[in-house]
Amino acid sequence: MKFQVSKSALVEAVSQVSKAVSSKTTIPILTGIQVIAHDQGLCFTGSNSDLTIQVNVPNQKEEQQQVTVEEMGNIVLPGRILGDIVRKLPGDQVTWETTEKFQTVIQSEQARFELIGLDPDEYPRLPHLTNRSSFTLHTDTLRTIIRQTQFAVSHDEAKMILTGVLWQLKQGKLTSIGTDGHRLARKQVDIEGSEDLFFEHVIIPGKSMAELAKTFNDSDGYVDIVVADNQLLVQNEHLEFYTRLIEGKYPNTDDFIPEDGQIEVICSTRDLLQSVDRASLISRGGRDHVIKWTIKDGIVEISSISQEIGKVTEQVKAQVSGEELSISFNPRYMMEALRSLDCEEVRLLFKGTMAPFTLRPKEYQDTLHLILPIRTH
Amino acid sequence: MGSRIIFLVDMQSFYASIEKADHPEWKAIPLVVSGDPKRRSGVILAACPLAKAYGVRNAETLWQAQQKYSQLKVVRPRMQRYLEVSLQLTQIMERFTDLVEPYSIDEQFMDLTGSQQLFGSTIQMAQTIQQTIHEKLNLPARIGISDNKVVAKMACDHFAKKNETGIFHLPSDQVPEILWPQPIESLFGVGRRMANHFRRMGIRTIGELAQFPVDQLKKRWGIHGQVLWMSANGYDHSPVTRNSFQKPKSIGHQLTLPRDYYTEKEIQVVLLELCEEVCRRARRQHYHGKKVTVGCRSADFDHPHGFSRQIQMSTYSHHAPTLFPYAWKLFETFWDGKPIRSLSVSLSSLAPDDLVQLDLFTDHLQHQRLDQAMDIIHDRYGATALLRASSLLPASQVKERAKKIGGHYRS
Repeated sequence: MKFQVSKSALVEAVSQVSKAVSSKTTIPILTGIQVIAHDQGLCFTGSNSDLTIQVNVPNQKEEQQQVTVEEMGNIVLPGRILGDIVRKLPGDQVTWETTEKFQTVIQSEQARFELIGLDPDEYPRLPHLTNRSSFTLHTDTLRTIIRQTQFAVSHDEAKMILTGVLWQLKQGKLTSIGTDGHRLARKQVDIEGSEDLFFEHVIIPGKSMAELAKTFNDSDGYVDIVVADNQLLVQNEHLEFYTRLIEGKYPNTDDFIPEDGQIEVICSTRDLLQSVDRASLISRGGRDHVIKWTIKDGIVEISSISQEIGKVTEQVKAQVSGEELSISFNPRYMMEALRSLDCEEVRLLFKGTMAPFTLRPKEYQDTLHLILPIRTH
Repeated sequence: MGSRIIFLVDMQSFYASIEKADHPEWKAIPLVVSGDPKRRSGVILAACPLAKAYGVRNAETLWQAQQKYSQLKVVRPRMQRYLEVSLQLTQIMERFTDLVEPYSIDEQFMDLTGSQQLFGSTIQMAQTIQQTIHEKLNLPARIGISDNKVVAKMACDHFAKKNETGIFHLPSDQVPEILWPQPIESLFGVGRRMANHFRRMGIRTIGELAQFPVDQLKKRWGIHGQVLWMSANGYDHSPVTRNSFQKPKSIGHQLTLPRDYYTEKEIQVVLLELCEEVCRRARRQHYHGKKVTVGCRSADFDHPHGFSRQIQMSTYSHHAPTLFPYAWKLFETFWDGKPIRSLSVSLSSLAPDDLVQLDLFTDHLQHQRLDQAMDIIHDRYGATALLRASSLLPASQVKERAKKIGGHYRS
């Protein structure tokens, strides 16, 4: 196999697929990156037990020749070292040649690397998708969904189901939920032309979600989402991102989410975030991460006491309706929720000292955060 | 802080002395308190001075002791009784000061700084305490005296135990004269390994450590190095406090099994029982914890293997059914499948249990009510009054364990 490729295209492709390459895998071949040269261009693949990323580099990009394949073929090279090498190559053009015994020569200007490759026949095939259903999503929307729900998932391996983000598609509406049991984040978006589609137990590993957001970080335009048995595929023209799904049944959370509340607070998101952030300086030093809110006429009073450090109090102006209420909770959950909301003003609804409370943007309903309080006695 | 008066009161051959006090007919006979020789706990827990005269030492096996003197009177431990006496001792000492800190079952610290006007000179006070203990409990006590705890402890261990009166006063300004010539392993907190390290550095006596540059010790051993250096110099600022006010770092239980356990099923039974016991003790002290540690050791004591591993839970807990899945997961991950002879579970990263993070999928209130009900039944009717069904299996150790304290029989 032999080809020439522009360095920038090579670096881009290798760095994308590297996200799926793990040095800690028990399957040696998966520490490598697979490179295929075919008549249309090049194809790079990186994979671990959870996810697989494949990048296609076509011969031409925007009418510019970026790949010239002289001889087709394939090879697997050690992933980490390949990534380091291609980034540091001196020239703009790279020549790549693989001989029969998997030996690969990568040349750019005066630099010449001879690498020992692995047998490409051992490299696993792409996940086979059965029972597919698909829809399209703008990458902006995809990134927002991930940003607003992925942070809330559990990191506790003992609660495997909760380490994933739940996706449900019903009546043209995609619902994404992340929760660790202490707080919950939910985002809903309308998917045009998906009225006939239905699924309710697609659980995507939280780590895969984070990688997915990074992978499509710089992309614009639409992606196809393909939901299949045990796999989810997100793809555009050049990139295919496969992730394993978590098997099992996600607990029903609808019943937990109160649609109303006796006490309503409307407040500037920024003011609230900054005051909770300040109060958490004291609570973070204490034994437990807890702050207290006292909601009364026109203000939210935020306080935190730590026996070892001291205390803090401050007031934030707010529109308050309903009775006076005191409630304690973990400020980290509040800060993460407020940071993920893209709105000037936030609306909070409370039912009581011991009851979960909700945060929503004042102007719209598609985003919701639920926080469970800390019981004090 | 002005100069303090600190006593360390140590009970001579505590368990053996109690047995002799309770059984006057054994007074003149060499006597040892020893665990059951048929089980692995067959070691000497206490030997009376008469037995020690034959060379019998604590912690050697009963068999070894009997080689030295075959007529030894061997008594089974009665842990419940020893605990009672230990509490009575504390009560006696509390007549002299409210600052009494039980340090172990047979050693207690007293701060008598505020009591001088009431009970006379330092030595007089020590004599009065010694006499009172003798009158009330018929037990011999030795007392080390200084102006801080660490020197009082060393005054007792190295001097009061060896002189006629059983009392020794070592003010910290006399430390260079009296303590410094002592070998380094006589320093409180220095074990055999540490002594070897020091000797390799050319430090053979307490005095040589006291004069060693503290920065170098700190560099090598961190805070521990500094503490040892301070002890060698007779510095110790720690107060005498009731242990109950100190926050425990971890709450744990270890269990030596009566025979090898081979199967997951058997091990699960005792692991759950250990979780229950740890949680119950945590609840009693009003702490819940976030980290679970599980350890085990194999049956082969000549080629020991085993592990001790920990895992962080996603919430604080002292509810056994919450702990158990984490404990089991740890065990399952690190167990090499070989038969085990001892198992331990502990809970750490503790916090007072008055704050509870509510959870969508767990009804903490229900757990709490259930635990409370179980605790009340156990406190009133004993640890075996209410058992999990799994504790009715042959692998269970609950019933056996209920008879013991610290691994030895209650009575």
